[in-house]
Amino acid sequence: MPKRKLDPLPSSAFQILLALVGEDLHGYGIMRQVAEQTDGRMRLGPGTLYSSIQSLLEGKFIEELDLREDTKLGQERRRYYRLTSAGRKLARSEAERLADLLRVARAKKILRGDYV
Amino acid sequence: MSEKIYAWLLRLYPSHFREAYGNEALQLFRDRARDEKGFVPSLRLWLDLLVDLAISVPQEYGYVQPALIGASALDRFDGVPTFYVLEGESPTLGALLFGGVLSLVALGTFWILLSHAGSYTGIGVMKSGQSQSDSGFSQQQAPRAEPQDAISATNRPDREVFKLDAAERQRVIDSAVAILKEHYIERDDAQKMADALLAHQKSGDDDAVTDGAAFAALLTRQMRDVSPDRHLTLDYSQAPLPQHPTGQTPEGLARYREAMNQQNCTFERVEILRHNIGYLKLNSFPDVSLCQPTAAAAMASLNRADAIILDLRDNRGGEPSMVALMAAYLFDHPEYLYNPRENTTERSWTHSPVPGSRLADKPVYLLTSARTYSGAEQFSYDLKMLKRATLVGETTGGGAHSGVWHRIDDHFGMGIPETKAINPFSKTDWAEIGVEPDVKVKAADALVTAEKLAQGKLQKK
Repeated sequence: MPKRKLDPLPSSAFQILLALVGEDLHGYGIMRQVAEQTDGRMRLGPGTLYSSIQSLLEGKFIEELDLREDTKLGQERRRYYRLTSAGRKLARSEAERLADLLRVARAKKILRGDYV
Repeated sequence: MSEKIYAWLLRLYPSHFREAYGNEALQLFRDRARDEKGFVPSLRLWLDLLVDLAISVPQEYGYVQPALIGASALDRFDGVPTFYVLEGESPTLGALLFGGVLSLVALGTFWILLSHAGSYTGIGVMKSGQSQSDSGFSQQQAPRAEPQDAISATNRPDREVFKLDAAERQRVIDSAVAILKEHYIERDDAQKMADALLAHQKSGDDDAVTDGAAFAALLTRQMRDVSPDRHLTLDYSQAPLPQHPTGQTPEGLARYREAMNQQNCTFERVEILRHNIGYLKLNSFPDVSLCQPTAAAAMASLNRADAIILDLRDNRGGEPSMVALMAAYLFDHPEYLYNPRENTTERSWTHSPVPGSRLADKPVYLLTSARTYSGAEQFSYDLKMLKRATLVGETTGGGAHSGVWHRIDDHFGMGIPETKAINPFSKTDWAEIGVEPDVKVKAADALVTAEKLAQGKLQKK
C-alpha cells in the first residue's frame, strides 16, 4: 500500500497551501478560500479536503491549532490549520515550477497576449 | 434529513479517516448546506459530495497510516521477513469474542469428526447385495451360511442377546418361502423346498431353536434335503444387515477408490526371488477400471522371470473381470474360465494372448491358504482345472456366494442362485468345500515349497 504522496503536489494540496498563506483557517474556511481563489472552479468536497489536509499534516507542511469558535459561523468549535515554513517553501517551489512551465508555454507562443 | 444521509455515506470511508475527520466532514457539510440553500445550490452541493466520495473513498482505502509503516521498518532485520499491519486499531472486544467462539466451534467439530468418524471400511463392502452374477464376489457383507451345523466365528451369535421367538421364526420361514417361489431358478424344486420348510414348521421341528445361526443352518439343511444345491443358503447375521447395499453409494465407491490408491490395488509385493523366480503377492482381485494399469505393471515386471509364484494366501476375492484379466497373462490363446455365478459365456473367456506378456509358457505356482476365498478360489480352481498352475498350500475357504442376496430382515437373508452356469471341468465347484491344492502343505510353508518345486523344474529343463 502506498503512503500518501505529495510529489507531484496535487492541485488540491497546492490550493490549500495557498489558501493558508494569509491566515489560519478551518476546513470550511479553506474550502471557501479555495473556491474564491479559483473563481469557483474548485470546490473541495470533505473527502478530498481532509484527505489533502492529512497528507499535508503528515509532511509537516501545515499544522493543527487548538479548537476555537468561528464567530461568523456560530458556536461550534472548529479545528484551525496554519501553514508551516516547510509548507510555505513547498508552495513557493510549486509556484516556481508552474512559473517555469509558464515560461516554456510562453516561449512556445501558445499563450495569447501577455496577461500572465 | 440530508445530514443523516451524508453521515451514513461517511461510513464508506475507512475507520481511521472517519475517526480523524468524520466530525469535521459533517461540520463542513452542515456549513455548506446552511450557506447553499435553494434547489440549484443544493443540487450542486450533492453533486459535489457524490463526486468527492467517488474520488476520495478509493484513495483513502489505498493509504496506510504512516505510523504503521514506520513501525514495520523499525523492526526489520536483515533476512527476517516483515509484514504490514493493515489497520491501526486493535480488534474490538466483540470481534475477539466472536473469533474465540468460532475457533472453539471449529475445534469441537474437528474433535467430533475425528472421534466419531466411521471406522475404516475395507474393500469388502463393495457392491454387497448386488447381483453377484454382475459384480462377482467381493468379500461380501452377506453372511455365509456354514456347511451343516458348523457356525463360523464371525457368525457366532451372542446367545444371551438374541433369542428367536415363534413370530420371528414364522416371519423368516414365510419370507424364505416367498423368495424361493419368486427367484429360485428351478421352479419345481422351489415349490418342493417351500413345501418342506412349511411341513417342518407344522410338525414342530423348528420350535426348539432359539438361536439365529442354528435356525438359519436348520432351514438351509431342510431346503438342501430336497435339492442338494450348495449355492442356496439361508444366513444369519448377529450384526444388523444393512438396509441398502452400502457399496453402491458414491461414498462407498470413493472409499474403495481411496483404499485401492493407498494399497497399490492390493498388489502387495512384486519381486524376483533367487534362481530368477518371479513372485507376486496379490491380496484381492480389484476393480479393473481402477487397477488395470497396476496389474499390467506388476505382470510386466515378471516378464524376465523363469517361473512365477502367485501368492493368494491372503486373497479374499474380488471382481471376476480382474480374475479374467490376471489369468489372461498366463495363456497364449483365449481360455474359458468357469465361474459358477456367471452364465454369460462372453465374459468368461480370457483375452489371451496379452501383447507384451512373456508369461504364457512359464511354470506357475499358486500359493493358497484356508483364507484364500471367493474370486481367488475361482482363479485357483480354473488354473488348476486347466492344468496351468500347480497349487501349493492349504485347501481354500470354500466361498462361492452365488446368485442374488435377498435381505429378509435385520438378521436373516438368503443367497439364491438365479443363473445356471455349466461347469466344464467337474460336477462340483469349490462352494463350501474349497479348492484342493496339488501339493498340500501348511500355508506358512507354501512359499518355500513352491520355490523348491520351481527350482527343481527349472533345473530339469
